[in-house]
Amino acid sequence: MKNKLTRFLYRHRGIEGIVYVLPFAALWGVFLAWPVGYGIYLSLFEWNPIKGSRFVGLENYVALFRDVRFLNALANTFKFAALAVPLILGLGLLFALMLWSWGRTRRGVGFVQAVLFFPYLLTVSTVAITWKWMFDPDFGLVTHAFKALKVPAPVFLTEPAWALPAIAFATAWWLSGYRMVVFQAGLGDIPQELFEVASIDGARFHHKFLHIILPLLKPALLFSLVLTIISAFRTFGQVLMMTEGGPGRSTEVLALYLYWTAFEYFKIGKAAASGVVLLVLTLILTLIGVKLLGLKSELQ
Amino acid sequence: MTKIKAWAPYLVMYAIAFLWVIPTLWVAETAFKPNPDIFSIPPKWFPSRLTTAHIAQLFASWPFGRWLLNSLILASLVTAGSLFVSTLAAFSFARLQWRGRDAAFLTILVFMLLPLEVSVIPLYFMMIRFRLLNTIYGAALPMIALPIGVFLLRQFFLNIPRDLDDAARIDGCSSLGVLTRVIIPNSIPVFAAYGMYIFNYAWNEFFWSLICLRSAQKVTLPVGLRLIQGAFEINYGLITSAAFMASLPSLVVFLILRQRIIRGIALSSGIKG
Amino acid sequence: MRKIVALAMGAVLVWGMVALGEVLKIEFNTLFHEADAKAMEEIINLFNASHTNIQVELIQGRWAQYYAELRLSVIAGTPPQLGICHTYRLVEMVDYLTPLDASPVGNLIQMGGINPADFPKATWDAGELAGHHYLIPLDTHGWGLWYNKDIFAAAGLDPDKPPQTMGEFMAACEAIKAAGYYAFHPAEDALPRKLRRAWEIFFYQLGGGALFDEGYTKATFNNPEGLVALQFLVDIFNNFGWNIVGGNGYNQFTAGKLGMLFAGNWFYPTARDSGVNWGYAPVPNFFGTPYTWGASHQLCIPLQPAGTSPAVYQATMEVARWVVEHSYIWTMSGGHIAAYKQAAEDPTLLASDYWTRSGNLLNEMAQKGLVKFPINHPRGSELEKAIETYIELAVNGKITPAAALAQAEAECNKILQGR
Repeated sequence: MKNKLTRFLYRHRGIEGIVYVLPFAALWGVFLAWPVGYGIYLSLFEWNPIKGSRFVGLENYVALFRDVRFLNALANTFKFAALAVPLILGLGLLFALMLWSWGRTRRGVGFVQAVLFFPYLLTVSTVAITWKWMFDPDFGLVTHAFKALKVPAPVFLTEPAWALPAIAFATAWWLSGYRMVVFQAGLGDIPQELFEVASIDGARFHHKFLHIILPLLKPALLFSLVLTIISAFRTFGQVLMMTEGGPGRSTEVLALYLYWTAFEYFKIGKAAASGVVLLVLTLILTLIGVKLLGLKSELQ
Repeated sequence: MTKIKAWAPYLVMYAIAFLWVIPTLWVAETAFKPNPDIFSIPPKWFPSRLTTAHIAQLFASWPFGRWLLNSLILASLVTAGSLFVSTLAAFSFARLQWRGRDAAFLTILVFMLLPLEVSVIPLYFMMIRFRLLNTIYGAALPMIALPIGVFLLRQFFLNIPRDLDDAARIDGCSSLGVLTRVIIPNSIPVFAAYGMYIFNYAWNEFFWSLICLRSAQKVTLPVGLRLIQGAFEINYGLITSAAFMASLPSLVVFLILRQRIIRGIALSSGIKG
Repeated sequence: MRKIVALAMGAVLVWGMVALGEVLKIEFNTLFHEADAKAMEEIINLFNASHTNIQVELIQGRWAQYYAELRLSVIAGTPPQLGICHTYRLVEMVDYLTPLDASPVGNLIQMGGINPADFPKATWDAGELAGHHYLIPLDTHGWGLWYNKDIFAAAGLDPDKPPQTMGEFMAACEAIKAAGYYAFHPAEDALPRKLRRAWEIFFYQLGGGALFDEGYTKATFNNPEGLVALQFLVDIFNNFGWNIVGGNGYNQFTAGKLGMLFAGNWFYPTARDSGVNWGYAPVPNFFGTPYTWGASHQLCIPLQPAGTSPAVYQATMEVARWVVEHSYIWTMSGGHIAAYKQAAEDPTLLASDYWTRSGNLLNEMAQKGLVKFPINHPRGSELEKAIETYIELAVNGKITPAAALAQAEAECNKILQGR
């Protein structure tokens, strides 16, 4: 029996390859690809199976781009990405450089790395609770700190101009440790000889940074950039739990808009359309990323 | 002077580390402070006494242990399932020849970072149909076939010398034999790395779990914390104790496996093969 | 081989029929959590313990998403047999509910032995739409005034005489402020929807009329009363110095730093356990009629798939009646005022701490018709969201009250006209 199977598979090696991919492909097709396709399909309907759905073509999209609330959510999503991504990558790079340039020759640095990394392991809910408590206008530590410095503290989460930056900062606290580790790995790959040569030539640190570190770290930086932007576009939990999109609508991001449109207002078609917009944005970024990084060459 | 120079980096690094750890410490401390100390202006760094009342209240009014268990089950299911299907698929993409292979891989690759948000509505219908809504399986299934897993494993498999395969084939191994005797034993680090990645991913997943799981008994930790927070009574002692208890498992695992986790990230970050 | 298969199938069939005959499973979905969820669980546990032929599976815990889930489960053909529906959601949900007086198996109200006369008329009538009856009243809930007796004493006020007029209220607030406490928080934890409720209370007290015209063609709240109401709300946070923008009333009150708080009856367990020496009073009469904000939970039967057996409907009604008849438990532990008249005569309830300290006062407000229910429109939640968004911005001092109302009005009208 077993021999027969082996021989069959050997003779039909083309099929064998497909058999191995099948479990993954089936799950991927059913739970990832098909829902996306169906979501796109739904976005073309005014969906109401009880009274009868109606095909409306692109009307949902037209409605979306006329909806100030959607446009606001779109703008907030970009704003959030513009705030959070540089913070996450900047802090991650800074920490990595700090540990790399000071840490290699010193002991007791593992602890620092551990502390900076740890928030990454917390769930988004914990992060949101933590920072909501830090920012509490009556009893929060941030408020106390401002008071101690005799600076009037903005009420971060209820001040439209401050709420989004505050959430972005909380997100950076959460995620920059992860990026730090990634960058550390990249830095670790840089051959020591390069620095020794540079040092002999009398190069200063910023020269080394600009001419050795940055070029060699470029792939890691670009890869991180694409991933971080995409995750920023998808931000949901922090916002839901810290402000629910408020004050006003100053922190309502795309994912939150979609959630409410579908599960609170029950406008399935319109929600699906906003999901497609998010999808297109992400796909564009991914393709740019693939192009920038030359991931295609991975196939060879 | 040189002494200061030698110590300054330490000072800076530990100062930053201290700033970074404050929020977590503050939450942990709040969880054990009696209410009057929580709500004191200025803040009390050292509470007048420690209390476990909040934690007792947490366990009395919410099925917190159940949430922990649900999260564990979910993350384990996803991890095991994902490792299994991704390994098979990655092996096929890396080692077997078949028509359309590269096109299929490219398709999966392009969809690698597909946001789940688009598909939640169809997924929701599907789970109702399959009667998987409000079950751990319903929450877990969409997370198993992640393209990133295939991508990472394939990349690692490609770096395993082909000579080893050929030797095994000559010894009469089928493809399955090559997979189990050559590829898998040589890939333990990447399995560990991806396993930790996907476990953490499932442990922290919020959006789909929030939508799929609805009864208080069935939800995972992140959604459970949202339930507490979304409830009518908001009580910082209770909610910080919940946040603290929710972070404990991560903290314990991290303390034990710190080096391994950090090395795993370096490996799975997609830049090292 | 074939024989074995046939035998097995027969066995499964018989077992299935026996099992079906023995126990009917009724799924009951609610949007309750915490104290409410516990109270409902208690009622259902009593039911399950005293019935062998019907067992209820209770699924609860999610406040958000609840109505969308109910609708989707009806669409998918897997609805729960029993559910909860706020009266103000009836118009939105009506396509997804079984008309109780004209169900596929007959008049369920009669079949279940439910007597409309057992409920306050207004509450019962709230379950009616377009000639059919959809809901069975469970409760009325709403906001009242919680105050801290120790702070009252410290501010030189009479702890047993909470303010009930505008003059008394202003004086009390100033005294509390002078004693170094937050004087008043009008909106629980200051979430946008809570701020809107506070504004609605002032608006209705002023006699501002309805928020929308009768046919829901346009918003009507942007009037002088609406403006006075919003200005008052804004002043509480920004001009009177009674509280701060972003302050969380629940926390301030629990911490013993807040003199007076508007909050719902669900605040009772927190207040009781907080250690604060609290008192409770009806919402004061600020502007003319002492209205408060409130709503009513009612039981509903989501639309069942065609061919559902009469026995299932019958059993569901039995559960519904049980819940209503045991709603004194609902009041005692959940704090919502039971709609079922006999429940309010239960001696354990009447003697309970909750009833004597606060429940009876809320009940009085409800009996006097002072509880104003939210708007009832297919897109009610969107309209409310639009209103509260701008109210919050006004409270935060970002836009003027006049601008807030104008923008809210414009957005509501857009929602009412457009897709």
